[in-house]
Amino acid sequence: MDLENLEKQVSLLEDIHEIECLQRIYAYYFDSHQYDKVVDLFSDNAISAEIESHGVFYGKEGIRRFYWDNIGKKGQTMPPWMIQLLIIQIGGVVDVDPDGVNAKARFQTWLPEVMPSAAGPRQVWIHGYYENEYVKEKGKWYFSKIYWNVTFYTTYETGWLRFPMLGYFPFPDYDAPPTNFHPYPSGYHVPYHFMHPVTGE
Amino acid sequence: MATLEELQARIQRLDDIKQIEQLQKIYGYYMDYAEWQKVVDLFSDKDPSVEEADRGVYKGKERIKKYFIDLLGGGPGKTPRPGWLSIMFQLQGVVTCDISATTAKARWYGMGMEAKPTTSLHEGELRQTWISGVYENEYVKEDGKWKIKKLHFNLTFRTPYEDGWLKVPVVGQTGPDSKILPDEPPTAYFPYPSGFHLPVSFKHPITGK
Repeated sequence: MDLENLEKQVSLLEDIHEIECLQRIYAYYFDSHQYDKVVDLFSDNAISAEIESHGVFYGKEGIRRFYWDNIGKKGQTMPPWMIQLLIIQIGGVVDVDPDGVNAKARFQTWLPEVMPSAAGPRQVWIHGYYENEYVKEKGKWYFSKIYWNVTFYTTYETGWLRFPMLGYFPFPDYDAPPTNFHPYPSGYHVPYHFMHPVTGE
Repeated sequence: MATLEELQARIQRLDDIKQIEQLQKIYGYYMDYAEWQKVVDLFSDKDPSVEEADRGVYKGKERIKKYFIDLLGGGPGKTPRPGWLSIMFQLQGVVTCDISATTAKARWYGMGMEAKPTTSLHEGELRQTWISGVYENEYVKEDGKWKIKKLHFNLTFRTPYEDGWLKVPVVGQTGPDSKILPDEPPTAYFPYPSGFHLPVSFKHPITGK
């Protein structure tokens, strides 16, 4: 093998590693309420962010509005018991395009959480799948698009079969309504970005 | 185009990261099966340390042996009682390792399910619990092998299955052992709902801060 092809192979492995780290670092910042750092993980030319039933937010400005203004409450300190998040990142499948500039990945998260509700703080189990997009600019990988589709959002005490979805929570300033909001037990499957690795279909 | 030497160094880094990830996951598997001596052998001989939850810091290889074999294991040759269960997933590893590095750091989530005796009026009673926390660990490469230099598991919650982390954030943590004392007190034991977040060891991948 010549050096040029070897470098391509090494670069591909490095790219996959950097993207896996980017996704995991996103979650660590998210969980420790560092939403300004989350916003900085997105490209200035990023497409969109959509999580759960909060709606779609377009462009870097929309992404800042989503994470910093809406989720992070613009850095306002919240009572520590109010929000406990552990968006654990599991099962990454990363695919880098042959151009080495664009990439897609599927992950899933299963998480314990505490969130405020009208009746006081509530402990919940949540699950969902990501289908995200990434772009390499000036040698660094950025998020281009985050899309997370919720499977269930249930109270600790009841479980996903008895009470799959606690509610529908669109943010008032979204750019577009939630897409594909079909929680359990709808039977909805989040489409894969990848082809079958053996049959290629 | 990269030179052969540059490519070798880049492959070596990827290889190092993979070995460190494996080391941490293997640590988890040995812990789950109470194979304490095998756990001890994953640590470096040179100034290693271990700290889990509220147990305090044990420093040096001999003290680490004492911690795992005598404190957690109940003494050499002891096996866990029937019903004892430890399943700790090693998740979301972010390994920081430079080219040609012989030291590395990593952050992980540790989450799982346990059945262990907890201190109570019914001494030795098994409780089924959900456990969750964060690791910030350090590793060192010695004689071509990666070893654990520093292991720190920072507990977020350890809750009875029947209650959940909001109602009962922590059970069965009663501070450092009274007989096998740690070398230093716990450094960052602030479980839920304190709002404490263990600082991250990695730099922001875009801003570098």
